[in-house]
Amino acid sequence: MRRSGEVEAHHFEAMGTACSVFGIDVTRTTLLKAESWVRRMAARFTRFSDRSELAQINRSEGAWVSVSPEMEELLRESLRAFELSAGLVNAAVLPSMLAIGYTRPLREGTSTATLESARPAPRLHDVLAVRPGRARVARGCGVDLGGIAKGWMADRLTARPGVNVLANLGGDLRAAGSGPAGDGWPVGFGGVTVMLRDQGAATSSVRRRSWGNLHHLIDPRTGLPARSALEEVAVVAASGCDAEIVAKTALLLGPGLAPAYCAAHAQAWWLRP
Amino acid sequence: MRSFLLKLGATALTLGTTVASAMYVTAHMKNPSAPLQPAVLASQNGGTVGELTITPGVRQGDVQPVTSTYAS
Repeated sequence: MRRSGEVEAHHFEAMGTACSVFGIDVTRTTLLKAESWVRRMAARFTRFSDRSELAQINRSEGAWVSVSPEMEELLRESLRAFELSAGLVNAAVLPSMLAIGYTRPLREGTSTATLESARPAPRLHDVLAVRPGRARVARGCGVDLGGIAKGWMADRLTARPGVNVLANLGGDLRAAGSGPAGDGWPVGFGGVTVMLRDQGAATSSVRRRSWGNLHHLIDPRTGLPARSALEEVAVVAASGCDAEIVAKTALLLGPGLAPAYCAAHAQAWWLRP
Repeated sequence: MRSFLLKLGATALTLGTTVASAMYVTAHMKNPSAPLQPAVLASQNGGTVGELTITPGVRQGDVQPVTSTYAS
């Protein structure tokens, strides 16, 4: 029989990465429902399936299409990410993703890269428009939500008031509540343990999801994989999505500007050259 | 006459408040003890690359972490 205050954990694979949900005084069924929700959302937001909701939006050729409440929320979040990052976290980099050969899940291999076709990404506000229940992607353009979806999902999983849970989706995580001992959730961060309480953390790196001399982190200013002097950035921020946005932005800014940007937007950070 | 005095009083009050506010803001524009300042000032030295920076908003612990953030 489970004792009160004990951490219940559930681990699973989704979105091509390892995911975990932890909770205090929650049932196993609750954690399994969390996994089910993650899988439903991942199927909705993936660009790798023609049947996903995102693929339908990208195929709409400039027409307004109906979107689910979750898709609407995530699309609005992508617009906020664009603003918070001064345009560096730009969901409109899908053409560049395809140009570098990232056309399917990496476990299935990459396609031949056609870097000469890569172009700087357009402003996201020129590509994506969102209205209540509807969205439109400009003709000839496409959006990729992979840059913020995991952080957003971690935030949503832990959003219910009063819960004492932690969701870690491929390293993008959010901790809600006071944790196992009442002083926060202990999370490994930059070689130390930090106690997170209603906070998020994320890591962005050019060393993972890389092949040959290419990697998946596109600099929208060039449309090509980022050539930053930083290899990895880890960040603690107010939410999982904010942490994801700040980590990516800092990595793209490079060592000159990243410290000041992190100081303004993060609560803890680790910049690895 | 009474109306004129009321207008004069209101105008004086407005001008006085404006001047006092401007003086207060000018005097407090750079407060070195503001919560975000230490981290921002430290970052301007460029010394945080390769180092871990933790602001007062995050507490360190000495227990085993249940999970960690990582690149995926």
